[in-house]
Amino acid sequence: MASADQRGPMPLTTVHEAKTQRLEILDVEGRADAALEPKAPKEKLLEIYRKMVSIRAFDERALKLQRQGRLGTYPQIIGQEATQIVPACCLEPKDWLVPTYRGQGAYFARGMQLRYSLLYWGGDDRGVRFPTENNDLIFAIPVGSHMTQAAGLAWAEKLKKTNAVALCWLGDGASSKGDFHEALTFAGVHKLPLIMLIENNQWAISLPRAQQCAAETLAQKAFGYGAHGLQVDGNDALAVYKAVSEAVTRGRRGEGPSVIECLTYRMGHHTTADDASRYRSAAEVEGWKAKDPLSRYTKYLKAKGLLTDADVEAALRDAEAMIVEEVKAYEAFPKPNPLDMFANNYAVAPWMLVEQRAELEEVLREKQSRAELPELPPAEGRFP
Amino acid sequence: MAQKNLLQGINDGLRQAMEKDPRVVVLGEDVGLNGGVFRVTEGLQKQFGAERVVDTPLAELGIVGCTVGLALAGMRPVCEIQFDGFLPAVMDQVICHFGRMRNRSQGRNSLPLVLRAPHGGLIHAPEHHSESPEAYFTHTPGIKVVIPSTPEDAKGLLIAAINDPDPVVYFEPKRLYRTVKGEVPDAYFETPIGKARVAREGTDITVLSWGAMVHTCLKAAEELEKEGVSCEVVDLRTLTPLDWAGIAASVEKTGRALVAHEAPNTGSWAAEVGALIHERLFHKLRAPVQRVGAWDIRQPLFQLEKYYIPDAHRVVRGVKKLLSRQAV
Ligand SMILES: Cc1ncc(C[n+]2csc(CCOP(=O)(O)OP(=O)(O)O)c2C)c(N)n1
Ligand SMILES: [Mg+2]
Repeated sequence: MASADQRGPMPLTTVHEAKTQRLEILDVEGRADAALEPKAPKEKLLEIYRKMVSIRAFDERALKLQRQGRLGTYPQIIGQEATQIVPACCLEPKDWLVPTYRGQGAYFARGMQLRYSLLYWGGDDRGVRFPTENNDLIFAIPVGSHMTQAAGLAWAEKLKKTNAVALCWLGDGASSKGDFHEALTFAGVHKLPLIMLIENNQWAISLPRAQQCAAETLAQKAFGYGAHGLQVDGNDALAVYKAVSEAVTRGRRGEGPSVIECLTYRMGHHTTADDASRYRSAAEVEGWKAKDPLSRYTKYLKAKGLLTDADVEAALRDAEAMIVEEVKAYEAFPKPNPLDMFANNYAVAPWMLVEQRAELEEVLREKQSRAELPELPPAEGRFP
Repeated sequence: MAQKNLLQGINDGLRQAMEKDPRVVVLGEDVGLNGGVFRVTEGLQKQFGAERVVDTPLAELGIVGCTVGLALAGMRPVCEIQFDGFLPAVMDQVICHFGRMRNRSQGRNSLPLVLRAPHGGLIHAPEHHSESPEAYFTHTPGIKVVIPSTPEDAKGLLIAAINDPDPVVYFEPKRLYRTVKGEVPDAYFETPIGKARVAREGTDITVLSWGAMVHTCLKAAEELEKEGVSCEVVDLRTLTPLDWAGIAASVEKTGRALVAHEAPNTGSWAAEVGALIHERLFHKLRAPVQRVGAWDIRQPLFQLEKYYIPDAHRVVRGVKKLLSRQAV
């Protein structure tokens, strides 16, 4: 019996409840749930298809180039074609594209020529030429350091009332960085048009998803910041399309940030410098082959009557021809002039750079006089 | 004694320290099952288990903050940051806590921890994988910074770092991991922190360096010898606290000093070494100290890296320039 100075029973009250949902539209056979099918124009669906085909073929070629010593360390994206291509195709040029280093597909989908990707991974600073009409941000190599910047980009667009959004890719690994927390904290508080698209490819180099975070899903992290959260089958191009399009709409309407966790798989090594057989089983990789995003999407388009066998062949042929051109253009690039590295460090180069560049010029002349260095192409870029 | 490369020297040191002291734990990204991206920690998880050799989530500031906590509570943590270029993210813990903990707790707390990270360039790696950030650390009071250039020192300095009562940042010249070989004692031993090493004796000029650049300087010294110039090459091994006695002994002998390193000159550790020599040995110098470093610009991608980081040719030029100057 409660005495006069004691309170009666106080059951805990539920102050917040959240449920994390997963969106899947295509099954592994490419059959769609008609009720969920996004209303995308045929041309858009085919554009996505052609770009997925192209980036797959490019990825395979890039790997070969690296193995032949014609390219530096290269991060493959095989298996992640849907999460690379589709989100980029949901944007307008005014929207900010903020990919990671594993982002060739996203840039390509926005119109970047793949020769620049090769140039970059070939160790040449000129390999970052994105179409000037787009808001495409240069990717960052320190994992996750772009996330708060993406929040800032979204913030600026909100202040400028442009109705543009920022779409930020990140990996399952990057979702552990403090930057993720800070980006979403700001985006939630200021209701920013930010989309955090987690490409959960199950691995961060050798660390499996289960050891990255003890939460059941990464999507549920959204709820800690007042953001919209959804898990998506990332190997299902339609589901990615629907989830991203809806997040973009929410962003444009001023309804704040979204987190979309795309379940996908890194079919290749972390990069060409990695050997994934040291830490994961071939059986696991094999299991994911059945969920291949490109073959599921192809089956879907065929079943819809949007694609014929002849179209498939043509898409492959076109991709091959394009890649041949891009590789040729990459290898025809004149070697960079060492003096180029002095350009674009400051708006106006200070005295020490002027002196140091002159010193390098002397060094280069000495090397040339000893036949250690061939004739150089003219220096590029703005200096001083 | 066995012939080992630098990487094996480090691995040896870690293994023996872990065998000797159960408080030693190793943590970092991919250090366990994968043995580290360079394989420095190869085999350690197998030998000591996943509780002592820990694959961490991708969160550098978390790794280093937890390392501080582990050290405070009596462990001897050795954490790894995968590449030099990812160190900036951990500077909050390094600058605000590493070197200050002992003093601001009035001596009650100490941080016997080691922060390992690869150092330097010229391995054709992507951006942020080839940096020389030592000056950010040497500028921070209360911590020690070491960097070996031989397999033997790699082992001995690491063991000394683990046993040191203060936080030690241990840089690993990644270009040397597999390219430098030498005798490494099998026994557990320490290379004293705070002691430089004369890598080559000479009489005309002292060339001070550290890490992979020591080997570049040795190459330059060979070239200069053909032209009749005798270089003494000093491998600092410990950047803070500097072996002033060792530096002074050599510079007093030669009357000339050049400092060669991979970082940009401005605000560099070479600047500090040069200033110390000027302040303390001005009257013994026959010419001003010369620095040979990288340019004061962002490090370019690997196609141009070899024109950014000094090579032997640039060290030779530096020495000749110095020799051509009149006594001050
Ligand atoms: C801050 C930082 N730490 C470590 C690395 C080295 N590194 C590059 S990619 C990577 C794993 C990233 O995993 P995830 O975020 O899942 O992306 P994924 O590579 O799977 O696309 C690591 C540890 C880095 N580039 N930056
Ligand atoms: Mg991943």
